[in-house]
Amino acid sequence: MKGLRRLILYSILGVVALAWLLPMYVMLSTSLKTPREVALGQYLTPPSSPELSNYLVAFEVLKQGLLNSVVVAVPATVLAVLLGSWAGFFLAMLKFRHSQTVFFLASVATFLPYQIILIPFTQFMAALNLFNTQWGLILAYLILNTPMAALITSTFFQMIPAELQEAAALDGCGPVTFFWRILLPVAQLGIVSTTILIFTMIWNEFLIAITLTQGPYTQMATPVLAGLKGNYAQLWHIQMAGALLTSIPPLIIFIFLGRYFIAGLMAGTLKG
Amino acid sequence: MRYSKAHVLLFLSPLGLIVVFMYAMMAWTTYVSLNDWVGMAPAWSFTGLSNYATLFRMERFWIGLENNLLWMVIFIPPTAVLGLVLAYVLELSGRAEALFRPIFLYPMALSFVVTGTLWAWMYDPGSGVINSLLEAVGLKALSQPWIASPSQALYCMIGAAIWQYTGFAMTLYLAAIRDISREIIEASRVDGASDLQVFYYIVIPNVRHATMIVVAMLTLFSLKVFDLVWVMTMGGPGNSTEVLSYFMFVATFRQQLVGLGAAISVIILILAIAVVLPYASWSMKRLQA
Repeated sequence: MKGLRRLILYSILGVVALAWLLPMYVMLSTSLKTPREVALGQYLTPPSSPELSNYLVAFEVLKQGLLNSVVVAVPATVLAVLLGSWAGFFLAMLKFRHSQTVFFLASVATFLPYQIILIPFTQFMAALNLFNTQWGLILAYLILNTPMAALITSTFFQMIPAELQEAAALDGCGPVTFFWRILLPVAQLGIVSTTILIFTMIWNEFLIAITLTQGPYTQMATPVLAGLKGNYAQLWHIQMAGALLTSIPPLIIFIFLGRYFIAGLMAGTLKG
Repeated sequence: MRYSKAHVLLFLSPLGLIVVFMYAMMAWTTYVSLNDWVGMAPAWSFTGLSNYATLFRMERFWIGLENNLLWMVIFIPPTAVLGLVLAYVLELSGRAEALFRPIFLYPMALSFVVTGTLWAWMYDPGSGVINSLLEAVGLKALSQPWIASPSQALYCMIGAAIWQYTGFAMTLYLAAIRDISREIIEASRVDGASDLQVFYYIVIPNVRHATMIVVAMLTLFSLKVFDLVWVMTMGGPGNSTEVLSYFMFVATFRQQLVGLGAAISVIILILAIAVVLPYASWSMKRLQA
């Protein structure tokens, strides 16, 4: 009975796991095949010898996009987390009369689809001469992600015992010192999780990226990858190599910082 | 900790400015939707609700709306149910969790552009993975046109989204199952309840909270889905897979019917608000209590 139960449980997990891994497997193995091998359509067979030149071709197309993604996502993430946690601290720990209102308005702004601000965003960026620039993208992602960073960090800050604040206050520590010297180091898990979530969201984002930029010099990796599909239609090995190259940063984060990735993902729903 | 009015201003003004700015932009979009703005430069000629009237007469609008609703109906239940079942099976199987959880969750780390690129190929009727595999195992008869067929493409795309989001639902459910008190489950086991009975009578009613979150998040996703459509089908074949967000983009930035595009945005906003307002007030009550 015990053995049968285990067999059933593991069969369910095993079957679903195979289905979930299959796309990744074919993506990886095809990205290492020659066009002739790909044409055979035997996608389960591993490549006879890894054709790394596919990655060189894909990288040549994507390198500017990947660089742009880094140049945009890193500062936008850092600034959004800083500004967000700055407010998140106040919302979570120093509740004032209108904390609830601010929290509510920020969470509505966080969850609404980007489409609703897309038209004024393009006009705003054009007016500031930031259309089709990396500064424009950084500003856009900063605006869109700061409310989310505030909410998520505030859910993490709420888990920090109130005594810490009281003790700091007794020592004459004001809110600003408390935030920099005590809260940020103590709430590391929350800060890292928020940073990872927001970085991944910006890195993977597409709608804002394709609306605010055009052409190869300013576009981030996701629009370039989407364009690859047109220029390298049916050349699956190049497309898959490009898709994997674009996925490297988030996958590395997922593999090595999985715990934080999960914490951020859950906090991103304001699960509490 | 003591704080002054100056501190309120200091800490909340960056967030406050951004939030006010976002609401101002929403109001601006709404106002644009009442104008007959064509072309990329702002053109203010107030026409009241005529953009909406035009929209409601367009078949393309109704196709988009219908597809968004189909997304909700077809995407959400399997994702939530599979997520819950996997979470429960992981919980029962104990040590296997460390191995299997990342396998179900990793698609969540990928961009929809990556998922779209990958699955467009999986579903390609000629040299795609699924048809090739069917042929390899002697089931060529089951081959389908998949993404190339107007009647199947939408479901194909939803399949890719299920692949991506099931791990997300599973993670939320797993946390919720862990929150159920051990004693309730132990007690029912002592009374001879089977795994299925525990699932049905204890797990399902006690993860309602997670279900709310999963359904709200997946509904929002179904309303704003754009990247997958762009990458996998560009709304085609025909406009069989078009959704409102895609139509909005095409109307605004390709056809330069900005007023009309704004009207579509406002409709997306109204649909999203129906989910976001209750969800935000629910979260606020729990977190700011």
